[in-house]
Amino acid sequence: MTLRADHVAGAFFIAFGLLVIAVSGSLPFGNLASPGSGFMPVILSVLLILFGGTLMVRAGESRPFATLTWSDAKHAAMVVLITMLAIAAFEPLGFITANAAMMFALLVVIERRRLAPAAIYSVGVVVFTFVLFVYVLKTPLETGPLGF
Amino acid sequence: METTLHSLYLGFSVALEPHNAWYAFLGCVVGTLVGVLPGIGPLAGISILLPVTFGLNATQAIIMLAGIYYGSQYGGSTTSILMRIPGEASSVMTCIDGYAMAQKGRAGAALCIAAVGSWIGGTFGVLVLTVVAPPLATLAVKFGPPEYTALLVLGLIFLAYMSSTSLIRTLLMASLGLMLGMIGIDNMTGDFRYSFNLAELGDGIGIVPVAVGLFGLGEILSTPSADAVKNVIAPKLRELLPTRKEWREAVMPISRATVLGFIIGIIPGSAHIISSFLSYALERRLSKHPEQFGKGAVAGVAGPETANNAASTGAFVPLLALGIPTSPITAVLIGALMIHGVSVGPTLVNDHPDVFWGFVASMYVGNLMLLALNLPLVSLFVTVLRIPYAYLYPMIIMFCIIGVYETNNSVVDVWIMLIMGVLGYGLRKFEFDPAPLVLGLVIAPILEQSLRQSLIMSNGDYLIFLSRPISLGLFAVSAGLLTLAAISFATKRRDWRATLAEAEAGEVET
Repeated sequence: MTLRADHVAGAFFIAFGLLVIAVSGSLPFGNLASPGSGFMPVILSVLLILFGGTLMVRAGESRPFATLTWSDAKHAAMVVLITMLAIAAFEPLGFITANAAMMFALLVVIERRRLAPAAIYSVGVVVFTFVLFVYVLKTPLETGPLGF
Repeated sequence: METTLHSLYLGFSVALEPHNAWYAFLGCVVGTLVGVLPGIGPLAGISILLPVTFGLNATQAIIMLAGIYYGSQYGGSTTSILMRIPGEASSVMTCIDGYAMAQKGRAGAALCIAAVGSWIGGTFGVLVLTVVAPPLATLAVKFGPPEYTALLVLGLIFLAYMSSTSLIRTLLMASLGLMLGMIGIDNMTGDFRYSFNLAELGDGIGIVPVAVGLFGLGEILSTPSADAVKNVIAPKLRELLPTRKEWREAVMPISRATVLGFIIGIIPGSAHIISSFLSYALERRLSKHPEQFGKGAVAGVAGPETANNAASTGAFVPLLALGIPTSPITAVLIGALMIHGVSVGPTLVNDHPDVFWGFVASMYVGNLMLLALNLPLVSLFVTVLRIPYAYLYPMIIMFCIIGVYETNNSVVDVWIMLIMGVLGYGLRKFEFDPAPLVLGLVIAPILEQSLRQSLIMSNGDYLIFLSRPISLGLFAVSAGLLTLAAISFATKRRDWRATLAEAEAGEVET
């Protein structure tokens, strides 16, 4: 049997539904006439399992899993990694440092741009945005140990 | 009628105040840019700019955000026609014939027809909204929890039925969204659900990080910059006017799409997207020359572009009259008003007439501004498209972070956005449309609360939903749609939705 995209997707939703039911044990279910706080989550989990199962049953209509293209996965993983680092640095280092570093890294590491233009662009855009939001629009942004 | 005209006069006096007109203009410009730029749809655009409105009053905030919403519908057509890239999802159908017209040297005419159609659709929508919303709000006072439950269920089923992907996929996404909406404190018992001792999750997952993650970041993750290089066909100003023949070919599609779009806009779901698909299908069905569709048919541009703007305005009817978000975008608008202490619902017209009528009047003004903006300034907007994507997307990620963080000053929200971005990337890979997920998240608390309140009212008797005429009628429509969908599903019969799905997947490169 050929493994198809909807086999994988359906299995994911079934597993997710089962996981939610497993962690919902402490929530009172109530009954049909008087639902508790666990009622809707369990009903929705059952729906996820049912729909996931239907997706798997009718998976023949979907593409073979092996034909899904992952050529953009490396780009996506790099963007996620750099953004993760920027989010982690957002509060300790402040908006300007974290975001300028993120943009610089995206341009240099992923897009292979030259260092000087990338640095000028990153710092310029971030500082302009900071001034725009903080001083013009009066919406404060996170500041770091150096006050920006 | 006299009262409506008097109220509209009040609205215009509010909308034309220099400050308010300025924010309408700003919203229209930003909205057009949001529509033009691939990767930022109206939902992400509005979410990102929501914090900017915190310093404004409620009227200015809603005027500006609504300007972004309908402005993006105008802007989305520009990239569709000139680059065959839909700036946002509702412009997908415009790509097909709009770009074909551009290749024939009729880019200017296509842009002009799209702009005029959008203006007519939008303005007609506002006209009907002006007349319909106040009496509907009076009727809506009679809506109790059973009616709200029935309406929300109908919305979800309608969305699934109309989906061009598949019924099961849409229901899966909606269920997942409803599930995410369960996170946080249960309003009726005070129980914490799935908050994993994170105080920030006590209030649940916000729509902004989810929407920005799924639609903004998710799109960027799926688009390596090498794939984003496209040629731009830049029309000259003197080429903007369509010929007499093109005008004639556009008149009826614009008229039909205006009505069709508005009606679909009222019904919950991603109305502006569905309406453009349906309008395209309708025009192709009615055309004497269906073979011209895909090769530069004027009706293929006029219909979808008019319909999506009419639907955008139609979506404000349930928002303003019932206080029900029929799409993720209107949900964010409700959030914006609530931040300013304005409760949206049937009482809005009476409690805040300046906000209601100022907003309605601003849409007349805004649509006119957009018509004036989009045609002469098309070259300027095209210039934005010349910025290399490699430089553009880091900036978009930065704005995503700002928009999400500023909403609650919470870095947890930014993490949620990142997780949703990865989820959005995965969903695209497996051909799931994330829009029903966001709608599910939005209506989850309202649906659960109205269901449980209904059962409390009836001492646990589910027949309450069938004993009240409005909820009975709404459930009957839901049952009818489900039956139709089940027949199609069981017999594997191809219908117009399958055809549209093929058009979306095959004829349009996104």
